[in-house]
Amino acid sequence: MAIATLAAAIVTVGIFSFLYRDNPFYRACEHLLIGLSVGFSLVLLWNSVLIPKLLQPLFVEGRLPAMIPFVLSLLMLLRLKSSLSYMSKPVLALVIGSGAGVSIPAMFEARVLRQIAASVEPFGVVGDGSVSALMLLGMLISLVGVVTVIVYFFYTRPDTKAFNGASQIGIYFLMVFFGATYGYTVTSRLTLLIGRIEFLLGDFLHLL
Amino acid sequence: MSKLLSTFSARHLVFLAVLLAATVPLLLNIRLTHTASDETKRFYANINSLPSGSVVLISFDFEASAFAEIKPLADAVLRHCFRQNLRIIGLSLFAEGTALGEQTLSRIAIEKGKTYGIDYVYLGFRPQYTSAILAIGESLPKEFPTDYFGAATAAMPVLSGVINYDQIATVISITDGGMPTYWVDYAVTRYHARLQTVLTATMATSLYPYVSSGQIQGLIAGLKGAAEYELLLNEAGGGGRGLLAQSVSQIAILAIIIVGNVVGYLGRRRKWQ
Repeated sequence: MAIATLAAAIVTVGIFSFLYRDNPFYRACEHLLIGLSVGFSLVLLWNSVLIPKLLQPLFVEGRLPAMIPFVLSLLMLLRLKSSLSYMSKPVLALVIGSGAGVSIPAMFEARVLRQIAASVEPFGVVGDGSVSALMLLGMLISLVGVVTVIVYFFYTRPDTKAFNGASQIGIYFLMVFFGATYGYTVTSRLTLLIGRIEFLLGDFLHLL
Repeated sequence: MSKLLSTFSARHLVFLAVLLAATVPLLLNIRLTHTASDETKRFYANINSLPSGSVVLISFDFEASAFAEIKPLADAVLRHCFRQNLRIIGLSLFAEGTALGEQTLSRIAIEKGKTYGIDYVYLGFRPQYTSAILAIGESLPKEFPTDYFGAATAAMPVLSGVINYDQIATVISITDGGMPTYWVDYAVTRYHARLQTVLTATMATSLYPYVSSGQIQGLIAGLKGAAEYELLLNEAGGGGRGLLAQSVSQIAILAIIIVGNVVGYLGRRRKWQ
């Protein structure tokens, strides 16, 4: 049996031992997972980003423009010393500003404008005979759901019967969404369990 | 022995019932008959419609903890891509998914007799997914001058003629999180890339709106998605094997919820009386 399979089986059983009660074996496995995960990420970042994108261009190839991210990185690290942490603020501002500049227009278009369009666009073809009565019903339910959920999150709405009623309907739509998501989550967790049992029975015990 | 037994609670019985419900069906090795959903058929048809030699960018955007669910899905989709003789470019925007993505891609490539550098390549990890997605839209060769193993990518036949999303027939994000929304924000909206996604079941409800709007062209999720895809491919895999175990486990959980509520209600009624 491969050492990797044996190690994976021991750690799997260790993690599952928590189902009985918290114990040192479980704790050791948990710490191992966190340590390995952080260690792997650090090595990966060092090898695939810091060396090829920063250190090699600057110190081996002598490309001076690489000095800019190098200096900015050093300034960012000054956050660790409280007396000098103010020097990291311009770098942080640059990161936040450029990040917001890139993401806000893209997200607004993709997540707001395109989604609004998708909610109402189908009604444009209702008259041409390509939409069945059932599809129309689905489209109407979807539109009611969008509007009432938005009303629910409209916290400064006037306290009128119409708004409160719409908000109440919005809650039902949200409950359906949460219910579906929860059902999917349970399914997902079961799949993870089945995956590990399959590993233990198949790769480790050769019973499958 | 009695001391040990006394430490067990109803909670442990629930765990034991779910464990048995998941284990026994696997040992019985019975495969359920099922049909493929429209979403899975659409994903399959999208891949099937690509001409031989088309370029597919597959991003392995998941963490190790979700691998048990992702593996059968990724295996099925990769088998289909290789069967269609598509050129596959693999990469990862999640550090943890990097090695697992490489292992999965290589395993299926070897199984299908494909050659590294000609039929597929693995470019490795890029942090800051926003920058990485945007950089591919400008110039993939410039962003990835070397592959995961440090080899120069310029002369690789698999990347011949590939500059940006215009030459990529479809992007497939294999993920356990919300990464497809970032692919939609930057690759689809800005560069008009064609996106499909392979997901853990947990994320499916959050991403269906993007399928309805056409921003994501195909979506398969969870073990059921994998089983359906294997059915369409006519190839056995982890999805079909686990389907019975999942169904029995779900029935067990439903039964436990019902029994728990009945017992709780009867207990409360006894107190009232």
